Amino acid sequence: MSAPIFHFNRHREDIEREVTHRAVHSFSSLAGQDPARSFQYVLNDAAYHEIHRLERSRGKEAERLADWQRLARRIGRMSEPELRDEVERRARYYSADVAGNFDRRVYRFASGVLPIGLGAIFNTTDLAHGVASVRNLAKRIRVEGNLDLVRTLAEKGTLVIVPTHSSNLDSIVLGWSLVHAQLPPCTYGAGKNLFTNPLVGYFMRNLGAYRVDRRLRHILYKDVLKCYSQVLVERGYHSLFFPGGTRSRSGGIEQHLKLGLLGSALSAFSERLIRGDARPIYVVPVTINYPLVLEAETLIEDYLKESGRARYIIDDDEFSRVGRVVQYALRVMGLETSMVIRYGAPFDVFGNLVGADGKSHGPDGTPIDPRRYLFRDGEPVSDSVRDAEYTRQTGAAVADAFLRETVLLPTQFVGWLLLQRERRTAPELDLFALLRTTSGDRHDYAEVCDDGERLRRALIRLEDQGALRLDPFLRTAPMDRVIDDAVRTFGMYHLRSALERRGDSLVVADPKMLYFYGNRLDPWRDPLGEALA
Amino acid sequence: MSRWVVVGDGQWGRALARRLKATGNDVTLVGEAGSGTRKPKGIPLTRDLGAALSAVERILVAVPISGLEDLLRSAAPHLRGDHRLVTTCRGLTTHSHMRGIEAVRALTPVRQVAVVAGAADAAALRKKAPVALVVGSPFETWAQEIRDGLRSESLRVYTNPDLVGVELSNILAAVMGVALGAARHLTVGPAAEAMALTRALAEMDRVVRELGGRAGTAYGLAGLGVLSELLFAGDGIPLRAGIDLAKGDIEAAAAHRELRQAARTLAARAATQRLRAPLLEMVEGMFAGRVTAQTALGELMTRAARPEGD
Repeated sequence: MSAPIFHFNRHREDIEREVTHRAVHSFSSLAGQDPARSFQYVLNDAAYHEIHRLERSRGKEAERLADWQRLARRIGRMSEPELRDEVERRARYYSADVAGNFDRRVYRFASGVLPIGLGAIFNTTDLAHGVASVRNLAKRIRVEGNLDLVRTLAEKGTLVIVPTHSSNLDSIVLGWSLVHAQLPPCTYGAGKNLFTNPLVGYFMRNLGAYRVDRRLRHILYKDVLKCYSQVLVERGYHSLFFPGGTRSRSGGIEQHLKLGLLGSALSAFSERLIRGDARPIYVVPVTINYPLVLEAETLIEDYLKESGRARYIIDDDEFSRVGRVVQYALRVMGLETSMVIRYGAPFDVFGNLVGADGKSHGPDGTPIDPRRYLFRDGEPVSDSVRDAEYTRQTGAAVADAFLRETVLLPTQFVGWLLLQRERRTAPELDLFALLRTTSGDRHDYAEVCDDGERLRRALIRLEDQGALRLDPFLRTAPMDRVIDDAVRTFGMYHLRSALERRGDSLVVADPKMLYFYGNRLDPWRDPLGEALA
Repeated sequence: MSRWVVVGDGQWGRALARRLKATGNDVTLVGEAGSGTRKPKGIPLTRDLGAALSAVERILVAVPISGLEDLLRSAAPHLRGDHRLVTTCRGLTTHSHMRGIEAVRALTPVRQVAVVAGAADAAALRKKAPVALVVGSPFETWAQEIRDGLRSESLRVYTNPDLVGVELSNILAAVMGVALGAARHLTVGPAAEAMALTRALAEMDRVVRELGGRAGTAYGLAGLGVLSELLFAGDGIPLRAGIDLAKGDIEAAAAHRELRQAARTLAARAATQRLRAPLLEMVEGMFAGRVTAQTALGELMTRAARPEGD
């Protein structure tokens, strides 16, 4: 298998140069129309944000404060060429900071000997605890979808993989799935805080991940970052973006997507067209479906506590504690249900489905040429308003695909079912009251099974319409086995099990966890609610 | 000079084709050469949709909404990414109950879309009476092209990026027209109608916002413009349907299948979003024969009190 990322290090300096050049150029060329793009404004903006941030930080970071303060005092007296040089110097610094690394030996080690990252974790636990071979992992992760098609497209053009985001393990699990499905490795932006996990950080650094420092909020940094991701796609590096931006706090399927990175896929396509490069770009929606989510407790706490003001960066969760990750990994291997990584139908950057010939198709199946979307009166024309709207439409197509390609698992099914039963008994309670007061509630096991059958029938109807997917076990197993499986799964990893079986009853132990997992079914709450009414 | 295809050779299609021609465009009309109005001078008429589409980028669709899905299906194999399309369709499609632009997105590869709405009609354009239309489209350049293609000294054309809002307002105005027709039949005096109009507008604005449009669009030409024209004219299909329903003449009202369908679909969408939409529900209930206009009005008047802006 060949992929441009294998030669990344040879081109790294060139890429950094191009990113710096583009960022500086984008400021100088747009300053006339938009004062907020002038060199002076951009530097002031960066200095303001950095001084504000560094005044609150400690250690090595704080040493940079004096430099920014000096700059802030000088900006007003600097000539235009001096301002430009300063912007260029700092853009160069940031491009180098963002740029990743790719080490073929690490890749060979990770993909040949062990599945990436997770494999390494499992292996350390292998040594320590003597559990079954790491090959078990393959049984616990199911990779599905039209993988042949994605493989074919990887040869014909550049992949932009856009998965749902529930956990910091996503990029690792997804990296593993690429190897497992014989797909080429991808480059992706990972929050700088993730590199703090020493083991995972080592792999990320050497497998093409680039560093995104989400604490930096100024235009200069954001532009460098956007240029970097765009230049990589333009140069044919298969890329991975999480369009949800951050892990789903509620446990639900992301529907409000960040369009910036999707927009850079379209910009890359447009830039290629102008340069006469005809290689297509393919957007591949992927859903990552976990029976258990590593950071579920922290995520849902954050969602409920801050409701609406959720923290964008969490650096003190389960992921930062190696012991917890190891415990999670061990538990997942013991589960009966697999986590499912599902590759959805790929489309072009305008949201048209793509066939095995690599060509885009209209809804009626007629082949169409995606380049024509950029044409006006027979010529390619740049139009930022038009492209922003195209990106919004493609974002909507990704959000729809997330729903259609979601694979529902027993924990999510039972989470929704039990919470719905609670809601029905106490319709006057709001969500917070419900989550506070229902711990300890008992549900008759047989009744839950009956409700479960009705809920499953409604889900099967939705699956038949193509609205979602059910895990085969959830679709076909006897209902008591589905419920027992979920109860067992809940009990395996979380500090408090969400639900317990006591005789003929199911007892709610942690309603927040039921809510978190059940949120996966929330997009269909109306038809499902009717089925249970 | 730009080349346009106008699909639909009814009165409205022909009137708009004339406007495009008058602003210096090269226009081809696609249709069945129906009788009635004069054939527009200097505008070739063809039945060959595929050939007409392959020669242009700009398409104006002026067919009734009931024919839109079939038209889009036959046009789809001839459509490309650089095609830009604007419709004048009002209402929901016959088979899948979608807005016109939703149908364009679902059935064709066309992305640059727009909708034209407002109170103007072919007769007003012919008489050169001063009227206005609104072009709803987030594609600014395309909206401006349409505006510049249609406008004249007696036709003002506004643009609005809120396509969803314009399209929804236009449909809601027709459904609300039914409620106003019923109110007109049951009550006497302008004060009662003024009340019905203001509550209809508040509801339209709420529904538009919740179903993906923007606040305020309902108060523009596509919403208030269409609704007030119905009231001022004292005539028009929605008003007549409302009067029929208020009289209890379900049979006559049943002839307005599209209005009934629009009321049913929008009421269902509002219910899904848990939206307060009492007038939509009333119209839907009257069409379904569940409530009489008299009881519906009684219920509306005795609902729990609320602040006006709520």
